[in-house]
Amino acid sequence: MRNPRNFLTLEGASGEELKEILDLARAYDSAGRVGRPLAGRTVCLAFFEASTRTAVSFELAARRAGADVVSISEKGSAIQKGESLLDTVVTLDALGADAIVIRHPSAGAAALAAQHANAAVINAGDGCGQHPTQALLDLYALSSATGGLDDLADRKVAVVGDILHSRVARSVIPAFRAADMEVALVAPETLLPLEAGAWELPILPSVDDALDWGADTLYALRLQKERMTGARIPSVAEYARYYGVTGRHLKRGVLVMHPGPVNRGVEISGDAVLSGSSLIPDQVASGVAVRSAVLALATGAVEEAAA
Amino acid sequence: MTGVPAGASEDLVVRGAHVLDPSSGLDGTMDVRLADGRVAEVGEDLRGTRYLDADGLHLFPGFVDVHAHWRTPGREDEETIESGSAAAAAGGFTSVVIMPNTDPVVDKPVVVSGLMRRVERESRVRAYVSAALHEELKGERLTEMRLIREAGASFVSDDGLGTQSAGVLRNGMLYAKSAGLPVILHCENHSLATGVAHDGVATALAGIPGSPGSAEDVATASALVLAAETGAKVHITHVSTALSAALVGFFKGRADVTADTTPHHLTLTDECIGTLDGLYRVNPPLRPHEDRLGVGEALRSGILDFVATDHAPHASEEKELPLEEAAPGYLGHETAFSALYTELVQGGELPLRRLVEAMASAPGRWIGGAYGISPGATADLTLVGLSEEWTVREDALLSKSTNSPYLGRRLKGRVVGTFVSGGLVYDGIGAKFGARV
Repeated sequence: MRNPRNFLTLEGASGEELKEILDLARAYDSAGRVGRPLAGRTVCLAFFEASTRTAVSFELAARRAGADVVSISEKGSAIQKGESLLDTVVTLDALGADAIVIRHPSAGAAALAAQHANAAVINAGDGCGQHPTQALLDLYALSSATGGLDDLADRKVAVVGDILHSRVARSVIPAFRAADMEVALVAPETLLPLEAGAWELPILPSVDDALDWGADTLYALRLQKERMTGARIPSVAEYARYYGVTGRHLKRGVLVMHPGPVNRGVEISGDAVLSGSSLIPDQVASGVAVRSAVLALATGAVEEAAA
Repeated sequence: MTGVPAGASEDLVVRGAHVLDPSSGLDGTMDVRLADGRVAEVGEDLRGTRYLDADGLHLFPGFVDVHAHWRTPGREDEETIESGSAAAAAGGFTSVVIMPNTDPVVDKPVVVSGLMRRVERESRVRAYVSAALHEELKGERLTEMRLIREAGASFVSDDGLGTQSAGVLRNGMLYAKSAGLPVILHCENHSLATGVAHDGVATALAGIPGSPGSAEDVATASALVLAAETGAKVHITHVSTALSAALVGFFKGRADVTADTTPHHLTLTDECIGTLDGLYRVNPPLRPHEDRLGVGEALRSGILDFVATDHAPHASEEKELPLEEAAPGYLGHETAFSALYTELVQGGELPLRRLVEAMASAPGRWIGGAYGISPGATADLTLVGLSEEWTVREDALLSKSTNSPYLGRRLKGRVVGTFVSGGLVYDGIGAKFGARV
């Protein structure tokens, strides 16, 4: 049995680890094809929570790398019948999965699954916990736009919006820091953890203040519809005024990113989404190569090919 | 903020007043020269263009009232910005915070900016707007506090109701902190506050529904815990029980918290309720003697930072009713100093110096004004005749309403002149400005 390599969190990740993944993804991209490093292996997608873009991206990533793909989602599966996370994982494991890709509504679900699986477990988003492949593809897209991973050092990125409820934030913050970027947070205190100071990052009151701070990249987070009811923010108008990224912020070469799907006119304006400074299409396009690389590294397929 | 009248163009020397200013430490007879809206000089035999003879009078920093209802917009029959600010000036107040429980509620940026424009035109004193913390004061949806602040509001409050859900209040504090607005809290738990007077001897004997002290104490404790946890800047208004005052004391140093109590809670008790006169209904209700003493001691020691009047005008048809049907609230501006001077200072419970600090310096610091009687400070000053005696009469009140609990009472000490930016906005002595002598 090969040693499976789990991808659960980016908290504590080093620049070297990220570089290994992104270099492999870049090799796939520049070759124009992945080859078939995962030929003969089985990748199971276990989605305990609705997802479109992440599920499609992982499925393409696995198929392009030559894997057999089994996909179960909340609807029409044992998950919907109430099978527990662990029973599902153990079953997939027994069926011979080499990698299990998990999306789950509770933080820590992927780590729990990893404790009970022989297969490599890849976290495709767990609750408000982590979404490591999103952050990896973000770094990939940003480094492609700016020259390379090494060129990210000393760039300044502001992560804007609902950090409290965001698994993306909890992955991009350590990812950006591992790339030696300076990071600031922009959010009202109602959308930050009480102990947001634990990140030891500046907390700024608006996108304008982020630009004054020197941000050259604005990373806008999605504001979930259920957060717009007045309990944590008074109105979309006020939110957009202080925390929304608009075209006027994107002068002087400032880049804007967003993990999607976007709420136009809330956390980002339509003109910003479509502007030349927007990396949003690049982020989506980076997903497949990065996830192929993650799957190849997770299953040990890369080491085998090299051996 | 605002409503700053233009200061007098010529300078003025207030001569021979006993100047008492706790913040600068001045305490003695001297002259004060006012010029360009500011205090220019403090000293002896000062020369100026105009003079005001203030022999035998006391000169204090202007009083600041952080809790008033000027009923505008919506109930201009009870009070207007003009009449409310005139009443404030007559009580020696140079700055007032006005509360948002109007009709419509001051809960939107456009309402705030409209009110700011009216205040600028109509107020004789500085008026700071407190907007609502939640829409319609309902404790559900946050108001647009950042836009509201840009429109000119200085504080937020659900005054009159009090936010019932602790979870909602916690988010309100967090958001207000992000918006840079202090929160003024009316602490009242509605599941306990089911009566119309303090649940005590008077209600027991009279057969009227009582609200226990716990209605305030439970809400105060909850608010203080949340203030400590969130780090929000919180001011607890109209503390009326000894226990709530003690709770505030416990949280001093643990939270960014200040608190006030009112002249009526410091001078009256629930014995008034025995009359069943609707005039005496007020919220929080008048409390028993022990609470009055406990609150007074907390004010003396500084646990309660200052006095605020909760000036709450009501039309006579809302007060000339059985207690249970009357609207709660008292006039406060015009009698605050005199009632406190008469009952507490003359009664030996509070030093004059501390009263001036509690009515002027401490609330002045809290609203962020440059108060005090020292060169360069804004010339917001209050001139008082401590030996003057007067009887509170309806026809002499400048407020449009007459619901004062002190009607008919003989009080000692009276405000005789009020300066805002060096301009006399209240003249109670027919001040004659002497020419140079």
